Amino acid sequence: MTHDDRVFKALADPTRRFLLDLLFTRDGRTLTELESELEMTRFGVMKHLRVLEEAGLVVTRRSGREKLHFLNAVPIRLIHDRWIDKYRERRVSALAELKTQLEETA
Amino acid sequence: MTTTTTTELATQVYQVFIRSTPEAIWKAITMPEFTEKYFHGSRIEITSAGRRSFGPDGEVRGDSPVLEFDPPRKLVHGWLSLYDPELAEEEPSRVTWEIEPQDGGYCRLTVTHDQLEGAPKTAKSVYGEGWMMVISGLKTLLETGEGVEG
Repeated sequence: MTHDDRVFKALADPTRRFLLDLLFTRDGRTLTELESELEMTRFGVMKHLRVLEEAGLVVTRRSGREKLHFLNAVPIRLIHDRWIDKYRERRVSALAELKTQLEETA
Repeated sequence: MTTTTTTELATQVYQVFIRSTPEAIWKAITMPEFTEKYFHGSRIEITSAGRRSFGPDGEVRGDSPVLEFDPPRKLVHGWLSLYDPELAEEEPSRVTWEIEPQDGGYCRLTVTHDQLEGAPKTAKSVYGEGWMMVISGLKTLLETGEGVEG
């Protein structure tokens, strides 16, 4: 699997997207804190976090005795640049062309 | 959409996979001829003695101590945003760069900007788009640019 594949796979699950939104609201949380927001076993949450970590969307850091989870939005940004910006730009330029054409014929 | 408040931005972590060698990544981080291509045009020179950053007109943008210098694996330096008077008044923070070789010719680069408790405005200004532009620019330079060889 490529890095992009891992990111798409990680984002293709509502629980994992919810976990990312939780970290977006408040970054640097423990497993226990994240678990308390979900109706799911600790093991289930751990499994989802592992997929997010493998995709690079979550990075863990030790702080004393705690393991904190941080959101890393760089892979989403890269996917945005590669898969969203590109298509949006074409659409914008198509509209711009239409405008020119319409104005020329007017 | 919910926004993150400044106290929670005291530690920020950014990570990216780059198809390059640790040596090339190290050079791209520490040598001004490379940093000016992706770090908001700043010419940044990092040696074991310190980190100095200059703008295009030679103005000083940063002058901070280097706390750990372990090429091509780990670099820790101080951060004080001298390019903005309001930010320059805040307390200094810390930036850690970690380069870990991975399979398939990739390296994992992790940038941690922390100890930002005494610098809430700086934390907000570098958060998200700020560091992401730098890191994605660094990746592009190393994967598609010329002249950075390990």
